Amino acid sequence: MDKWTIGKIYFGILGIVALAFGIADLLVTAGGSSFSLGLLEIPNDMFRGGWGGLVMLFAGLFYLSGLSGIKNLSEIHQFSKVVMGSILIWVVAGCDIFAMITGSIPGEEAWFNTLEGFFGTYAPPYPPAILLLPFSLAVIYYIKKGRLNE
Amino acid sequence: MELTVDKRWDLIDKISKQTVKFKKYKSTLKEVIGELTVKPLTGIPIAIAVLYGFWSVFSSFAGFFTDGFLVKLFDEHWLPWIQGAFPGGLHNWFYNLMVDVGHIQNGALVPSNSCFESFGALTSGLFVPFGVVLPAIFIFYLMMAVLEDVGYLPRLAVLVDTVLHKIGLHGYAIVPTILGFGCNVPAVTATRILETRKQRFLMMTLLGIFIPCGAQLGIMQEVIPEYMGLIILYLLFGYFVTGFILNKVFPGKTPEILIDVPPYQKPLTRNVMTKVWVRLSGFLKIAVPFVILGCLIVGVMYLTGTMDWLANLFGPIFTHWFGVPKETVGPLVAAFMRKDLAVAQLSAIEMTKYQMVTSVVLVSIYFPCLATFAMILKEGGKELLGALAVLVASTFIYGGLIHLIWILLGVA
Amino acid sequence: MKVLLMGHPNVGKSVLFNRLTGTNVTVSNYPGTTVDYTKGYMRLENKEVEVIDVPGTFSLEPKDKAEEVAVKMLKENRDAVVVCIIDSTKVERGLYLTLQIIEEGYPVVISSNMWDVAKDKNIQIDVEKLEQILGVPVVPTIAISGEGIKELVSKIKKAKSVEIETIVKKVGGET
Repeated sequence: MDKWTIGKIYFGILGIVALAFGIADLLVTAGGSSFSLGLLEIPNDMFRGGWGGLVMLFAGLFYLSGLSGIKNLSEIHQFSKVVMGSILIWVVAGCDIFAMITGSIPGEEAWFNTLEGFFGTYAPPYPPAILLLPFSLAVIYYIKKGRLNE
Repeated sequence: MELTVDKRWDLIDKISKQTVKFKKYKSTLKEVIGELTVKPLTGIPIAIAVLYGFWSVFSSFAGFFTDGFLVKLFDEHWLPWIQGAFPGGLHNWFYNLMVDVGHIQNGALVPSNSCFESFGALTSGLFVPFGVVLPAIFIFYLMMAVLEDVGYLPRLAVLVDTVLHKIGLHGYAIVPTILGFGCNVPAVTATRILETRKQRFLMMTLLGIFIPCGAQLGIMQEVIPEYMGLIILYLLFGYFVTGFILNKVFPGKTPEILIDVPPYQKPLTRNVMTKVWVRLSGFLKIAVPFVILGCLIVGVMYLTGTMDWLANLFGPIFTHWFGVPKETVGPLVAAFMRKDLAVAQLSAIEMTKYQMVTSVVLVSIYFPCLATFAMILKEGGKELLGALAVLVASTFIYGGLIHLIWILLGVA
Repeated sequence: MKVLLMGHPNVGKSVLFNRLTGTNVTVSNYPGTTVDYTKGYMRLENKEVEVIDVPGTFSLEPKDKAEEVAVKMLKENRDAVVVCIIDSTKVERGLYLTLQIIEEGYPVVISSNMWDVAKDKNIQIDVEKLEQILGVPVVPTIAISGEGIKELVSKIKKAKSVEIETIVKKVGGET
């Protein structure tokens, strides 16, 4: 199997997972109570769950549509959709992480958070986008590889 | 000598044949991604994601500074200190103007315990612009500048072109519209990129009425975050409906436009920082004096009884037509000076969720702030009268309509 | 002497202006930012020279308010040297405005900007030939990174006005 075939399977699975997370986000938000399982926590709020879930769903669709063509993944028009799928995950995950950071520093009553509270913010469970973040980074390898081929 | 247009193109054709060669090239990833952001099928999801990111960073950042630090600084340290240190007391008019008007609790006048309620020039007058609005518009302009310099904005213009044509504008109108979410003053200037007088009039009117500025957004985020989605939805709805109607009513053309899309590029830090600074300093110079002045004028109107008189005069319209308490007359007067101040005032009035939404929407649409007003006068002149007529009409119709929706939903 | 920077919207005029003068000018990657003109000063042979960042325009027949300002600026500064900034990937379109300015009798220097983008797109521009045909200096520039700016400055004093007939003859004579 060459690297592009592996990529096709890899991003296919990632796409399905992202799509599933997106749908789960929307369902949880519509259902009205948050959901937690192991490392995963799906927040129930209109903004992160609803809007963010929608973006997650789009990310999944981008991955899958990048692979759906008959053409090879290395074809740039197909590949760009996979890149876009990863970018959307970066947007959602980046926002989640930024919200964590800004939420972890100030304290409830005092100026700054306690050390315990500070680190507690970063402990699991995490929202779906952060869980997918490391896996979505694989696309960088393919971008680099694509450049070498030219 | 001057050439005719045809001769000139002819000459150019000859020159370029001798000097420019287009060789074959493979499209790069950057370009293909550029295409993805422009085509509706892929571009709309991307735009939704970009707006999500924009909004998320905006609220995290503003919340960090305002809730995390500045509210504590102003409410727990500055307010108690100045309440003690400033000469006079709650029964001294100068103290009322500068520090605290106080409020009635169980029949007694008691000092305020937050800078949202005190309404003194040195308390609310400083807290609103520096504690709440400054962090909000700083992050807004920073992200706006990055999106501009990266090259996303012209692509957004292409994407929304079709929709904006329905309301008599075209894709570029997205630029003044988004700028208006920061501050209407630069947004009114940016209407110059629209060609016809009709388009400029449409754009200025819609900006003045329906686009809440960064100051308002910041303060809404602070005092009524749970209603923000609803309020913005109403305003955007009004933006499109009013635009659609105005486009039908007013004569004039909406010419097609060719949008030039620059390549995506890395933003220059210096460029971005310069831009943010230029726009921020505009805010500091114009807005801060207006907020402090607004505090003083509103204070004087309360102390002299003018506000009660106005509230009684307009009260019936407010309670019956808009379905909001008559105390909201005060904030509406303040809204003429600064809208952020008005929203802060509203938050201190007791009312239901639905009345709150209605009154915040009213504050947003009822009148552009003084600075915007002056800007439209400078840019449009004659258009201002037309814009004012539309404004009065839409305030009444729209305010009444929201009330009607609440009645129909059975919540008013 | 005054220097006017002219070109289509969005070809990097304001970035170039920043490079030349070092003042704080707001620059955007969407058309229509420079609706009022911006003034600055640059040093040219130890003299302070006024530089004006003219709003972007496609031709000298204005279509909107920003373009009106541009044409007015040009007409009001009869003694100015014009630096025409063209997008190297769209030379033809840029030349239209340049030729119009040449026809008006202004001394011109051409800054062939966004040279890097043209290179990426594999567009080859024969600068020497272009200079020879037009009779004015042509300098490849990348305003964003500052490449070619020094050369551009050194060519400003070599700007001269050209008769359009000469250009027509040169082109005609060689085809």
